[in-house]
Amino acid sequence: MGSFFEFIIEHIAQFLHFTAFANLTVGHLVMICVGLAFIYLAIAKEFEPMLLIPIGFGILVGNIAFAPGYKIGVYESGSVLNYLYFGVLQGIYPPLIFLGIGAMTDFSALISNPKLMLIGAAAQLGIFGAYCIALALGFSPTEAGAIGIIGGADGPTAIFLSSKLAPDLMGAIAISAYSYMALVPVIQPPIMKLLTTKKERVIRMKPPRAVSKVEKIIFAIAGMLLTTFIVPSGLPLLGMLFFGNLLKESGVTKRLADTAKGPMIDVVTILIGLTVGASTQATTFLTIKSVGIFALGAFSFVIATFGGVMFVKIINLFLKEGHKMNPLIGNAGVSAVPDSARVSQIVGLEYDKTNHLLMHAMGPNVAGVIGSAVAAGILLSFLA
Amino acid sequence: MQKRNLSIFSGIFILLAVVLAGNQAKAQNATDLRFNEVLVLNDSNYVDDFGQHNSWIEIFNSAYNSVNIGGCYLTDDLNNPTKYWIPTGDPATVIPPRCYMVFWADDMPTRGIFHLNFKLEGGKTIALFDANGRTMIDKLEIPTEQKVDTTYGRLADNSQNWGYLDHSTPGANNDHSRKASAGEQFVALDPLGFGMTLIAMSVVFSALAILYLIFRSTGKYFTKKATKPVAVEAKGGAEKVPARKEEISGEVNAAIAMALYMYQSELHDTENTVLTIQKVSRNYSPWSSKIYTLRKTPR
Repeated sequence: MGSFFEFIIEHIAQFLHFTAFANLTVGHLVMICVGLAFIYLAIAKEFEPMLLIPIGFGILVGNIAFAPGYKIGVYESGSVLNYLYFGVLQGIYPPLIFLGIGAMTDFSALISNPKLMLIGAAAQLGIFGAYCIALALGFSPTEAGAIGIIGGADGPTAIFLSSKLAPDLMGAIAISAYSYMALVPVIQPPIMKLLTTKKERVIRMKPPRAVSKVEKIIFAIAGMLLTTFIVPSGLPLLGMLFFGNLLKESGVTKRLADTAKGPMIDVVTILIGLTVGASTQATTFLTIKSVGIFALGAFSFVIATFGGVMFVKIINLFLKEGHKMNPLIGNAGVSAVPDSARVSQIVGLEYDKTNHLLMHAMGPNVAGVIGSAVAAGILLSFLA
Repeated sequence: MQKRNLSIFSGIFILLAVVLAGNQAKAQNATDLRFNEVLVLNDSNYVDDFGQHNSWIEIFNSAYNSVNIGGCYLTDDLNNPTKYWIPTGDPATVIPPRCYMVFWADDMPTRGIFHLNFKLEGGKTIALFDANGRTMIDKLEIPTEQKVDTTYGRLADNSQNWGYLDHSTPGANNDHSRKASAGEQFVALDPLGFGMTLIAMSVVFSALAILYLIFRSTGKYFTKKATKPVAVEAKGGAEKVPARKEEISGEVNAAIAMALYMYQSELHDTENTVLTIQKVSRNYSPWSSKIYTLRKTPR
């Protein structure tokens, strides 16, 4: 009888050893708080809920302190989470998300006013500004490249590039990129206001012309060919982006386009959000490097916004009256679609209730998607 | 205008053809296999799976996908290209991307599929033939003079330069010196990152500037096409009248577009019957009787 009780006590002790309470560290608690903060921001403030809810919950999942060796955690070979994480590690999910983005993006604003494309290029300055600072801070070249891409304000691109260049930092980079994307309405307006005059903020732009279906089809095909001929390493992202767009614009593959922009992108968003969140285990995430990445991420968003707004101001010097662009659309050159374009609209309306900038801002916004994918391709070809 | 467009497209096509002609397409199959390293005189070098010191040949898969060497032929006699057939159906004959396979040239084919039916000698030519037995994938003329226990191989994997190697590396990279990564090499020349910024921003701008130029031209073309005078039949023959300028406001267009979208997405209401709610003169109705209701009316 005595030995039976010993057996019970021994196994209860063993069971307690396996519980999360026994393995909990301060780091886990901190990360659980971060996850809860993400969920709060998503629900209460509606900051990018589609991303922050899966990521926030993923952070909770990833920071349940289990005893290793039972194929539970995202980093343990053979665990379910590890299988799902494979799509992140191997860069499978980001191109699929780009397919959906392509299928839901209307490039009309860009095609009708092609000079807006150049704003999308100028805003990529944030990527390389952060790259330079990261190098100066002692990050390795590949790490600096992966951190820099946060400035592109494009989550899938950030995950894609960091999975290739610095897989160890991918969790921190992805979290940083998505956090700042969610905070675009907070980060960008002060910089936009600081860099522009009242007169500039009320500039009215010519309404975009109607774009024919043929032009949209040509754009999808020519866009893919031209950008990938220049930067073949961007093919997984750019190829899928323009393919998705062709599905939409061709008009004969509605079912495929609907799937790409509907169920498929939803499934992949759930998987990428949850697994990226789960990859932020306190043991691997809470490091000095992660803090540096967050600081550099914020810096890169500031530089990117600066680059876009200043570029419009410079271009305006060469444009005739009546053809000038409102510099408030410069911030939209970062590819946080459509949040940064929405910021242009909101800030614009503060100064002129009838000046709607949303359609104009969508041009640089989608150009930013192309620009950041091209930039990622360049970093990959130089640093990988 | 059409002639002009045709000439532009022809020009682009010819340019592409010239560029493509200058580059050889890189197939990723058995044709990517290469002789990489050989040891002719093996006195105290690596031993085979029978503990014997024999000559060996290393083959490198230069492709970025796995290649199955099964079915190909190895020979030391160009007049007999099918001298040794590498058996198929064995998973061991699959060479992973950028990896190696070693064959023992000991004239002992009964010892396994990696033991050839010929031996190596200085001055011989060895060749690898494709599964059809006619297409030569790679050949190697072994120099007459051979040093004992010193391998002859490419100075780096897949390089065109051959020589005697300081270290024998069967199944491994011929150049085992520490190499800086592409990133390290780049940063060594550009420690502050300004070079990268300059190059990368130029490329991003170029890519989008080319798109800009193209779509500026196509935009002009399509705008012109849209406002082109329309020929209408008049009594006196064809008469050209300018197309009517668009007078519908953006708001109206948006409303029409929304209506069309809702119609196509079947979001609109289908009103095939009219439901009219009239006040019933009677105060009591069985429909409002508590007896007949299952739960309370929500407040």
